[in-house]
Amino acid sequence: MSLLFKQRNPKGASQRKLGLIGRVVGVIVSNIRQILTALGEIWRDPVPSILTVAVLGVSLTLPSVMYVVVKNAEQVEQHWQNAAEISLFLQQDLTSQQLSTFVKQIELHAQVEKIQLISADDALQEFEQLSGFGGALQMLDKNPLPNVLLVTPMQEYASASAAADLLLEFEQMREVDFGKLDIEWLRRLNSVLQLIKDTMGSLTILLCASVVLIVGNTIRLSIINRKEEIEVLKLVGATDAFIQRPFLFTGLWYGFFGGIIAWLSIEIMLFYLSGSIATIADLYQSNFKLTGLNVREMLNLLLISMSLGLIGSFLVVRKQIKLIEPDTA
Amino acid sequence: MIRFEQVSKTYPGGHQALQKISFHIEAGEMAFLTGHSGAGKSTLLKLISIMERPSVGHVFINGHDLSAIGPRKVPYVRRDIGMIFQNHRLLKENSVFDNVALPLVIEGYGLKEIRKRVHTALDKVGLLDKERYYPHMLSGGEQQRVGIARAVVNTPPILLADEPTGNLDPKLSLDIMRLFEDFNSVGTSVLIATHDLGLIARMKYRTLTLKKGRMAEDGLTDNGHGELL
Repeated sequence: MSLLFKQRNPKGASQRKLGLIGRVVGVIVSNIRQILTALGEIWRDPVPSILTVAVLGVSLTLPSVMYVVVKNAEQVEQHWQNAAEISLFLQQDLTSQQLSTFVKQIELHAQVEKIQLISADDALQEFEQLSGFGGALQMLDKNPLPNVLLVTPMQEYASASAAADLLLEFEQMREVDFGKLDIEWLRRLNSVLQLIKDTMGSLTILLCASVVLIVGNTIRLSIINRKEEIEVLKLVGATDAFIQRPFLFTGLWYGFFGGIIAWLSIEIMLFYLSGSIATIADLYQSNFKLTGLNVREMLNLLLISMSLGLIGSFLVVRKQIKLIEPDTA
Repeated sequence: MIRFEQVSKTYPGGHQALQKISFHIEAGEMAFLTGHSGAGKSTLLKLISIMERPSVGHVFINGHDLSAIGPRKVPYVRRDIGMIFQNHRLLKENSVFDNVALPLVIEGYGLKEIRKRVHTALDKVGLLDKERYYPHMLSGGEQQRVGIARAVVNTPPILLADEPTGNLDPKLSLDIMRLFEDFNSVGTSVLIATHDLGLIARMKYRTLTLKKGRMAEDGLTDNGHGELL
């Protein structure tokens, strides 16, 4: 395209007789070429790039770790939510006849999913095994433990308030000494989770802002470093958009590598923690497993980090490149 | 082709680089621009390539007023002007081939066309065998010829040269000038800023002489200068 010389007709890309598809393919190919060129530039001067990418990785790791923590905690919470269990401690003086009638009665209750009776004898045996007070217990002439009935409410009545209502109803019964629904800790867990989520929200915003700023500053420095080259490009007629593009792609790459580093750090941390988590889960007789990021979440992480890199470079590139004007001197 | 109408340029701070310059270089003409250092040669060239804008007056290229060209369109104007610099302005990290190909890459030529044109341009300046070299492996004269190849690779109608022989010995300088004559002979308008008066005298072309920002002389140089040097 020539502004000043209409008759001038260079056989440039714009002049070649290409169909729409051909042109689209051309644009895609040239963009891919520039994306790879930007990667080559990073490779050619790796030290500042590695440092930047490392900082980005750390910045992105923090919110991602919190995300994983919340995700796992929610799983635990759900697990407990479903297993909301009411323990009914029965009166000591019930005959076995009364006991079996009562158990039958509870079992048939409309809101009860299932029951499990831990008889006083079973409880004593278990206590002996686990507590190590076996010898001391021998000295007792009478089993001090009550019969305990574990009641699991139906799914619809498993929520904290419904279970509490159910507990109240059971406590009215003559056979029940007292009941226990350990719901408080569930509430506490809930609010702690909420706190972590809120903290994660604000920290994520801060750390994302820092990613944008870090990328912006790195790109700014690399533009200043390549001032001479940019001047030459401007002298031979490159548009600002043409000069900007490789820097934008560099920002994209920084985001990509930062995201990869964040993902790797999470995987390494999970691997490192999985041993101790398994031990704890074992102690709680739970088959809880620590879960990391699935493929979709990982792609989201990459997408977010790449957009942040792009935004960071976009914010500085326009102005910085406009500032550089060639000088023949 | 290049027409100045009462052009003055005052830099911020009050330095008057050019005062009421008027001249017209026809299409296909070759001319020298001379004068002492600081006489305004570089400023005049910058006004043509829109690196600077005139404070007063108008510059026309091919009848188009450059003051009507917005900043976004400046790159397209520069694609019509081949520029050659005293310090070559090559990209150090790129090979000779890549340096010469730059204007074509910017304009979006296909790889096949680029290869063909770069080879033609390098052949013209006699460096076809050095396309894989890097600028620092070449002598000063060779680097300058790479710069010239880059300036002519997209066959611009205008060629501007700012002290193209500044660092070269007389023999090499003359070779470079012969190159410009070759480009001129195929219809390119050529404007060469130089203070190498001996060279100008030998070449016998129209010479614009600037003195303290004013046009002191416009015409053929007399032979006297040449004999002295």
